[in-house]
Amino acid sequence: MAGETGPSMILEAMKEAGINFVTSLPDHNLAKLLEFVDKDPDLKHVPLCREEEGIGICAGAYMGGKTTAIIMQNGGFLNSCNALTTTALNFNIPIVLLIYYAGDIGDEGFSTLGSVTEPVLQGLGIRCYVLRKLEEIRATIKGATTLAIDSRRPVAVLLTKDVLGMRR
Amino acid sequence: MRRYGCLQAIAEDVGDALVICTVGGAAAQWNAIRPGDGNLRCRTLGLVSSIAMGLALALQNRMVVALDGDGALLMNACALPTLACQRPGNLIHLVFDNGVYESSGLRPTATLNGADLVEMARGAGIKHACWASSVENFKQEFNKAKERKAYSLIAAKVEAGEDYRELPAFGVAEVENAYRFMRHIEKLEGIRVVPLPGPRH
Amino acid sequence: MRRFDCLKAIAPLVGDALVITIGGGSATEWTHLRPGEGNLRSRTLGLVQSIALGLALALPKRQLLAIDGDGALLMNLCGLPTLAREKPSNLIYMVFDNGIYEASGLRKTATAEVADLIAVAKGAGIGEAVWVSSPEDFKSRVLESMRQRKFAFIGARVESGPEYVAEFRSLPRFDVSEVESAYRMMRYIEKTEGIRVVPLPGPRH
Repeated sequence: MAGETGPSMILEAMKEAGINFVTSLPDHNLAKLLEFVDKDPDLKHVPLCREEEGIGICAGAYMGGKTTAIIMQNGGFLNSCNALTTTALNFNIPIVLLIYYAGDIGDEGFSTLGSVTEPVLQGLGIRCYVLRKLEEIRATIKGATTLAIDSRRPVAVLLTKDVLGMRR
Repeated sequence: MRRYGCLQAIAEDVGDALVICTVGGAAAQWNAIRPGDGNLRCRTLGLVSSIAMGLALALQNRMVVALDGDGALLMNACALPTLACQRPGNLIHLVFDNGVYESSGLRPTATLNGADLVEMARGAGIKHACWASSVENFKQEFNKAKERKAYSLIAAKVEAGEDYRELPAFGVAEVENAYRFMRHIEKLEGIRVVPLPGPRH
Repeated sequence: MRRFDCLKAIAPLVGDALVITIGGGSATEWTHLRPGEGNLRSRTLGLVQSIALGLALALPKRQLLAIDGDGALLMNLCGLPTLAREKPSNLIYMVFDNGIYEASGLRKTATAEVADLIAVAKGAGIGEAVWVSSPEDFKSRVLESMRQRKFAFIGARVESGPEYVAEFRSLPRFDVSEVESAYRMMRYIEKTEGIRVVPLPGPRH
């Protein structure tokens, strides 16, 4: 049973944090969140074919005054590493990376992906926060957005199944 | 048109070809129809066509089949010009376009929004790219591709959300799948792929 | 057809359009022809179209030009269906196809052998995609799109080779460092659009 509480709280937190421009690629565990993002009239949502292009689109939108986020799986985060380095980091572009944490503790079938995610983020110098509790959603997403804007860098929030309402 | 029906229709024609399948329903269905070590399941979205091309270039006398999907191909559309340049004659590239990210919550892909994968492939320089109009036509095109011995891409618009949960689960672990696949190639081709484990003494 | 002639034909006409260019010869030629803070050079191969798309969506009243190359577009064909979905009316996307990786040792790209970028774009859902045959044709397509405020996707097959590389290398070098160029562009956008892009540096007290 997919819970709706977490995804709707994430959406509300994103909006409260000022995020108004979102690019995305789906994952099974992100389906509810993306459905909410899609329906929300306050957010511009650009669905992608590959995650790298999302970093470019967010960079352009930021230069045009938007506050941006990309929603993707951690495999997609790995796809976007060159763009994160040579566009987002090189141009000082803040983007909130909302990454579904496949291969997290308790997960099945994605352990390799799970094991490299945080080290690669650290290697890129991108700060990351793992979100496990519903009551921390609001503060974490708001805080990550503030930190991204203030540091002028991408900041990652790893979304676990617990907050996406997908933990069995 | 259903992907399962298309796969059933060509199973015999595929024979002992090596098959690289994209993860999800395609792999589950194919593995139920033709089980064995000649199948490799690829979980890197988009990389089926690249892996299959590398294999086809390495084993030029062996037929290689790539079972690809729309979401996967859109993620690696850059591979199309590369395939067009290399065009291994022993590679048949099958693309099932169901308009959704089947394993990722059934959200729509860009093919529901006007992207035409066959047109893109032709634009990229792939001469033998076509849409199959029916299961029978899919089978015909497959056999034409086999005879043609020129790299061919056959795409089929199929229903979204085919239920494959009743099929047996893909029963081997990922690394195991790779080794079994390589050992299968060694036997089939009479070559050595996996080196003897070292050290010698 | 030469890229430099195409760019020369449109440079006086683009006004205060924001321009995203691929690195290498295009950026050098363009900034020589239209210097200023409204130009941004992207060094992420393939991302010109994506950055320009994001900017065009964020500033729907501002004219955006994207100057791309064949090697770069081939690296981000995945972006084409996304561009097809949005088609912002204020974006003109141009790709100069010289059949080589100009900034990476002049090796051939797939367009030199087999690929037709305009056909791929059409396949991705961009029915507007068109090849132009001369700098005049190029200019009139750009003008038409600017005047009518409609999305355009223009390809030009241009000459290539070491002599063209030598030519743009004789032009003054791109003289702004990367982070600096981003800030200059953002400040320029703030000034010309009357919006705030870069937040005030913290802390408040």
